[in-house]
Amino acid sequence: MLIRLIVPGEYARVEDLNASLEAVLNRHGMARAIRDDVRLIVEELASNAIDYGGEPAAGTAQHELSVDISIEDGLLHLEFRDTGAPFDPLSAPEPDIDADIRDRAIGGLGVYLIRQLAHRITYQRIDACNVLRVSLRIPQPESEP
Amino acid sequence: MSLEITLLPPGQGSQRVVVAGRLDTHTYEDLDEALAPLMTTQLHSLVLDLSQLEYISSAGIRSIFKARKTLAAHGGKVLVVNPQPQIQKVFDVVKAVPLNDIFGSTAEADAYLDAMQRKVLQGDDSD
Repeated sequence: MLIRLIVPGEYARVEDLNASLEAVLNRHGMARAIRDDVRLIVEELASNAIDYGGEPAAGTAQHELSVDISIEDGLLHLEFRDTGAPFDPLSAPEPDIDADIRDRAIGGLGVYLIRQLAHRITYQRIDACNVLRVSLRIPQPESEP
Repeated sequence: MSLEITLLPPGQGSQRVVVAGRLDTHTYEDLDEALAPLMTTQLHSLVLDLSQLEYISSAGIRSIFKARKTLAAHGGKVLVVNPQPQIQKVFDVVKAVPLNDIFGSTAEADAYLDAMQRKVLQGDDSD
C-alpha cells in the first residue's frame, strides 16, 4: 500500500484528500490522465457519501472517509471506505445517456462515470462501512517496447 | 484551485462565457449563479469557452445540463469550445454535449453562429 488517507466526511476536506492523493501519485510517476481519473472517482464517491450517508453513529460528529491506494501489476487500486448508511452504488440504475436533453435527468452520472473509467469495481459492506474497491489500468508510455 | 468565470459582451442572440480552472462539487454553484441571469428566451446560443478548464466532474456536467435544458425549452443551444483532454473524456463517456455542438476554436464557433444568423436573416429554414 502506498498510503491511507482518512478525513472527516465534509466537503471542505475532500479537496485536501485529493490534493494529498495527487501529490502521492505524482511522486510515483503517475501520468496526468490517471491522476485526473483518481480525482474524479474520489470526488464522486466522497460527494455521494457526504450527501447520502445519513446521520453519523452516536458519539461521532460526522462520517469518516478513507482512501487506500496501491499499485500492483499495472493496476492502480483504490479502496474507498465510508461509515455512512449502507449504500451499494453499483445497484444504482444506469442513466439513459442517449435521451434528448429535455427528457434527460441531470444527475446520476457520477457512479456511471466511475464504472466507465474503472477496469474493475466491487462493493462490500464490512464492519459498518461501505467499501468500494476500484482498479484502474495504468497506461503504459507509448515509447516502451 | 477555484473556478474563474468571464462573461464576454453579448452578441446577436449569443453569449460567450470563458470558464477556467476546475468545475466540480466545490465550484458548480458559482457557474449556475453566473449563467442564471443570461438564460433568457432571447439567448439562442450559449458558448462555453473551455480552453482553460482543467477538470470537470459530474457536478459540472449537471450545471451544463441545466443550461442545456433551459435553452432547449425555446430551441436554444449550448456550444462548447476547445475542451481539454479530461473534459473531452468525461463529455464522451456521458454524452454531455452533442458532437456537432463542440468546436475546436472560438473562430469555428463564431463561423457557425454567423452562418446560423445569416440563415435567420434570409428566412431560410430548409436546413
